[in-house]
Amino acid sequence: MAAAPSSRPFEYLEGLPGTVFFKLYQQPSTALAIFRRMLPDLAKCFVMALLYLKDPLPAADLEVWVKSESLKERDNALSILGRLHILSNTVIANNVRAYMVTNPFAASLRHALTGAEQIQSFGVVADAPAISIANLDEYARRQWEGVLGYMVGTSGLGIQRDVNLSKGVKQLLQAGHLVEIRSSRVDITKDGFAFVLQDVSTQVWHILILYVESAEAIGMDSVEVLSFVFLLSSLELGQAYEKRHLTSNQLRTLSDLADFGIVYQESPEAAHFYPTRLATTLTSDSSALSNPISGALSGNPTGEPSPTSSSSPNNDSNKAGTGFIIIETNYRLYAYTSSPLQISLIALFTTLKYRFPNLITGKITRQSIRRAVEMGITADQIISYLSTHAHPQMRKHNTSRSTSNQAGIPPSILPPTVVDQIRLWQLERDRVQATAGFLFKDFVSLAEYEAPCRYAEEIGVLVWKSDRKRMFFVTRHEQVAAFLRSRK
Amino acid sequence: MNTIDATEHYSSSAHDRPPSLLTVILDTNPHAWAQLSQPSATALPLSTAVANILVFLNAHLACNYANEVAVVASHTQEARWLYPVANPPTKKPTDSDGDTPMQQQRTTTNRPPPANEMNKYRPFRIVEEQITQNLHDLLATTTPKDLEATNSTLMAGALTLALSHINRRTIAWAEAHGGETDPNAATAGGGAGSTTGGGGGSAEVTRSTTDSGLQSRILILSVSSATGSAHQYIPIMNAIFACQRLHIPIDVCKLSGDAVFLQQAADATKGVYMALAEPKGLLQYLMMAFLPDQRSRRHLILPTRVDVDFRAACFCHRRVVDIGFVCSICLSIFCEPLEKGECLTCGSTLEMGDYGAKPAVVARKKKKKKVRAGANAPSATPTPTPTPGP
Amino acid sequence: MADSDEEYVGEISGDDLNGHHVLSQGGAAQPPRSRRKKNRGGAEWEVSRTWESLVEGADGTINSTVEGLLEAGKRKRLLRDTTPLQRGIIRHLMLVLDLSQSMAEKDLRPTRYLLSLRYAQEFVREFFEQNPISQLGVLGLRDGLAIRISDMSGNLTEHIGAIQALRDHDPKGLPSLQNGLEMARGALFHTPTHGTREVLVIFGSLLSSDPGDIHQTIATLVNEKIRVGIVGLAAQVAICRELCTRTNHGDDSTYGVALNEQHFRELVMGVTTPPATFSQRPSASSLLMMGFPSRSVEAHPSLCSCHSDASCGGYSCSRCSSKVCGLPAECPSCGLTLILSTHLARSYHHLFPLMNWVEVPWQCASRSPACFACGINFPSVPSKDQWHVADIQSKGMSISSRYECTVCRNHFCIDCDLFAHEVVHNCPGCQSRTTFSGTSGLVQGADVTDKMDTSI
Repeated sequence: MAAAPSSRPFEYLEGLPGTVFFKLYQQPSTALAIFRRMLPDLAKCFVMALLYLKDPLPAADLEVWVKSESLKERDNALSILGRLHILSNTVIANNVRAYMVTNPFAASLRHALTGAEQIQSFGVVADAPAISIANLDEYARRQWEGVLGYMVGTSGLGIQRDVNLSKGVKQLLQAGHLVEIRSSRVDITKDGFAFVLQDVSTQVWHILILYVESAEAIGMDSVEVLSFVFLLSSLELGQAYEKRHLTSNQLRTLSDLADFGIVYQESPEAAHFYPTRLATTLTSDSSALSNPISGALSGNPTGEPSPTSSSSPNNDSNKAGTGFIIIETNYRLYAYTSSPLQISLIALFTTLKYRFPNLITGKITRQSIRRAVEMGITADQIISYLSTHAHPQMRKHNTSRSTSNQAGIPPSILPPTVVDQIRLWQLERDRVQATAGFLFKDFVSLAEYEAPCRYAEEIGVLVWKSDRKRMFFVTRHEQVAAFLRSRK
Repeated sequence: MNTIDATEHYSSSAHDRPPSLLTVILDTNPHAWAQLSQPSATALPLSTAVANILVFLNAHLACNYANEVAVVASHTQEARWLYPVANPPTKKPTDSDGDTPMQQQRTTTNRPPPANEMNKYRPFRIVEEQITQNLHDLLATTTPKDLEATNSTLMAGALTLALSHINRRTIAWAEAHGGETDPNAATAGGGAGSTTGGGGGSAEVTRSTTDSGLQSRILILSVSSATGSAHQYIPIMNAIFACQRLHIPIDVCKLSGDAVFLQQAADATKGVYMALAEPKGLLQYLMMAFLPDQRSRRHLILPTRVDVDFRAACFCHRRVVDIGFVCSICLSIFCEPLEKGECLTCGSTLEMGDYGAKPAVVARKKKKKKVRAGANAPSATPTPTPTPGP
Repeated sequence: MADSDEEYVGEISGDDLNGHHVLSQGGAAQPPRSRRKKNRGGAEWEVSRTWESLVEGADGTINSTVEGLLEAGKRKRLLRDTTPLQRGIIRHLMLVLDLSQSMAEKDLRPTRYLLSLRYAQEFVREFFEQNPISQLGVLGLRDGLAIRISDMSGNLTEHIGAIQALRDHDPKGLPSLQNGLEMARGALFHTPTHGTREVLVIFGSLLSSDPGDIHQTIATLVNEKIRVGIVGLAAQVAICRELCTRTNHGDDSTYGVALNEQHFRELVMGVTTPPATFSQRPSASSLLMMGFPSRSVEAHPSLCSCHSDASCGGYSCSRCSSKVCGLPAECPSCGLTLILSTHLARSYHHLFPLMNWVEVPWQCASRSPACFACGINFPSVPSKDQWHVADIQSKGMSISSRYECTVCRNHFCIDCDLFAHEVVHNCPGCQSRTTFSGTSGLVQGADVTDKMDTSI
């Protein structure tokens, strides 16, 4: 749903034990980043409302604050806050349940908002020459595209590889099961396909989480790495930052991230580093994806005379030069790109027809979708790829049309027929979908069954239920179990 | 199983929640602040209030990476931008890729920050520095002579400035984000509306902005009383109607005084109106009632004023009336039937209806006069002042 | 294709000159053409040679020219008359919709019928937005009869609902203009003299099957000072023009024939602006007594005196304290007109329009680097010898992209110009009184204040 935060980093964080959170929340930058990125709107309101309250707020008061028709959103927000260890339940006088913001988080967020004495949570600005944002973007784009190109294997299409990936990068991709090396050939995996079709900001998160996970293995404290990642996200683009204050682990992380293009340093020995746009937009919604990086990634990397990649980034952002794909209702696809990477991505699920210097055309067919599905690409991935990279003209056209028709439904960028058909084609093959979770059964009475079932639905974990059999299936059981206990 | 389901067609990552733009209008009327900071239990000096507001602004910025803030000071002599300020030459025309607060103020960022503010998130610090600096400048340039001249505040100007900024940002945002709103199409719609006096165009902008465009709202921190702003009645009303059209809620946080127009503003635009009983608790009020943006407000029960004072101020004596006499030509409001039957505003001769409300005045049968010589009877050159003179 | 169009233009213009010589110029120019246009199935044939006005800029692109054209277009709409005309703010208008079979034509998408119903709803909404203390009623013409759709009232939802309900019916039969006018006249008969009496007809047919002599009806309308405006959808009809001309003191500009959907909308929406009062007519202005009630909320629901519905909130009449549930309204018990002061204020910008801003030549442009209101940067001033180059754009567009308010002398960009004149109706500069000289003393400041108020 709309309230769901970007799932990948969220799931990872959620799996962490409470003590890790305690350590993480010591840093104001981390508290701020998690607040901004992971929480739904309503949860943000709750946190902010409670942040400067001295006493815990009675649960009843909080519940009264929310409109009765928005119970679902409220419970969802509270549930997320609980899972991230931000809000805690306490009991104040008279046995009243109350909520309060947990302490390291509250203190850190307050520090973030007001500032405090403690040094370097938001980086220390170095007195070094600023590097133009265009250059940083160019660097980030080159590195990131190199990574993607390595995975997809664009070398087969005959472009020269100008980026040398370090060994660490390759190992990480392998460890994350994004690629497999078979007889010294790089083969992309099912996860890898899913990965390359995502938008840039999701990809970066994915890589970062992989990195944090693997950090333990090479003897680094994952908390330290994670909070450093959050620190990076709060830095300013185009500004140099001191390395002096960093710990050795953080320095090591820094040089690893430089390989991905997430930070830039002139040389590994330089005394300062520059975050690139990949880092600074980490905590933004993916709407910030209309930034030059994804624009350039999808556009024209080879320095073709296009307005997108060659001119300055400010220019780009004005022109919204991000999308380049046009799909018609007759399944024809036109992509204004000359990037081998993008072409090979599109070729994954399209039958290509013609290739011009800056344009390829093709058609989405049953065969091409089947082929893609067989490779492990899902319809949703294709659709999200297409809509992320839809040409501005398509956005304009379709949004204006759908807003004039029916205001209730959010506008769709792609032609609905195409979207439906892609899904149907996938369904031909893909008939079973697995969801891991927990089954609740053997309820004695219908009433006993109904209450937790409704609760599960409200907090948004319910997957399936059968009133007749008095069973329901949830993705997460802790809260439901707690609910059941509380009713006993 | 049932992935083919109409609700899911439209869920795509391509439209995320749009950022919101919060414009704060800070009433810096020194008269009112002087009163408010008199040592008492409820005293709230301006400096404390500004500090609270800064935390509030930071909180708003913290909510979303692309959120923006703007602050206008509504002073006694002028309405002035506190943030962002156009004067530094580095401001880019439309740096609209979402991270405006970060890029805009390169001037302040290049010098190393003072050590004690070292670890503040940069956008927060930039906003803070600019606001405090500009506010300081503003107060420093206010002379005692200025203060003697008037004790009101230029709310209409501040509102108009705020609206202009919102308009600019909305256009820029729409341009940058690939045709959520095509500004040309929108203004072409305005062409349709232009004959109607600006109807359709803005409505169209509105429709697209409410769903997917930049969400804007205005918060007024008001300390002055209504009497001071009576001479701006019409401009304020015009601004309120503009907000209403554009679906921009005007939130009013009333620290002292009493402003009838602002109550109406909040009511007409579905904003929040709160008169603070405890000005000291400003921050908590701000965080709780004024921080949620339009999207969250759908789920929250917000404090709105239920009984709104809709009484009007008459143009002749500026009395607040509940029954008035209205000129059918120019709609000026008078508190009593006019002596000569001639409208004080537009000068047309008015026939008194047979109103028995005021026995003192016998409904006089007046000979109807021609309104005025000249074709099409412009009631005057463009100078009839509709406002009640002070 | 292009050739045939050209010929066509030539033929038409000759036709125009001969055929409509008697009609007043200007207003007559468009409608006859549109008739031809309809014959050709609504194709957009009236091609101005837009490509010829494009000039390549120094960088070989046409960007600058295109932007210029856009700006000129925006600006053109703004330049309207800002003389504060005396306008009829309190209006009584009957909206007459043609519901006859000719409305089933599909030359306007989706059909004339559906489109005009949609625009009628928008019209009603906008009408009450612009004229909050006015009243409106809706009639339909179908099967040779005039049918009542909604009664004269100030209740917006009632009208919209009634028009919405028409969607389920199909247009049918022939229209009778006379019957419609007679019924409208009956509805307007009792309206007070201080307000206007207007009829707006949306007419898709080319004929009117009337029971009697329509000219007599027209004479009565003139007598009763009812003004008729017609929006034709097909072609110009002589009787419509005569009707409009005679009821509007010889001014036929209230008759328009829609060229396309957009133009149709413009014509309809144009009527929402309060009409200027004619000085020829003896003014029937009067001082109206009105109540400004405050909203109250009660703990327990009570019945309102207007609809007898139980509700908790409402407005109590300032004179007799009976409760009404919506404003503006007339108190059902004592008859006092109850309105909100905001309703009155809504009309002020018609009466006191914001003056047009003037173009700024390069000579004065250096004073401002950025728009006063929104802070967008203006193009920098070029060297003197380029000041008169590239003066190709249409009238009204500022060469320096700056527009100056003549009162406060601040410079604004085109977007703010548009916004200030069409939406806010305030001048940001005058209102915030940042005096242009910067060091102006108190006296001058006060001076500016006075001027500022007048310019609204």
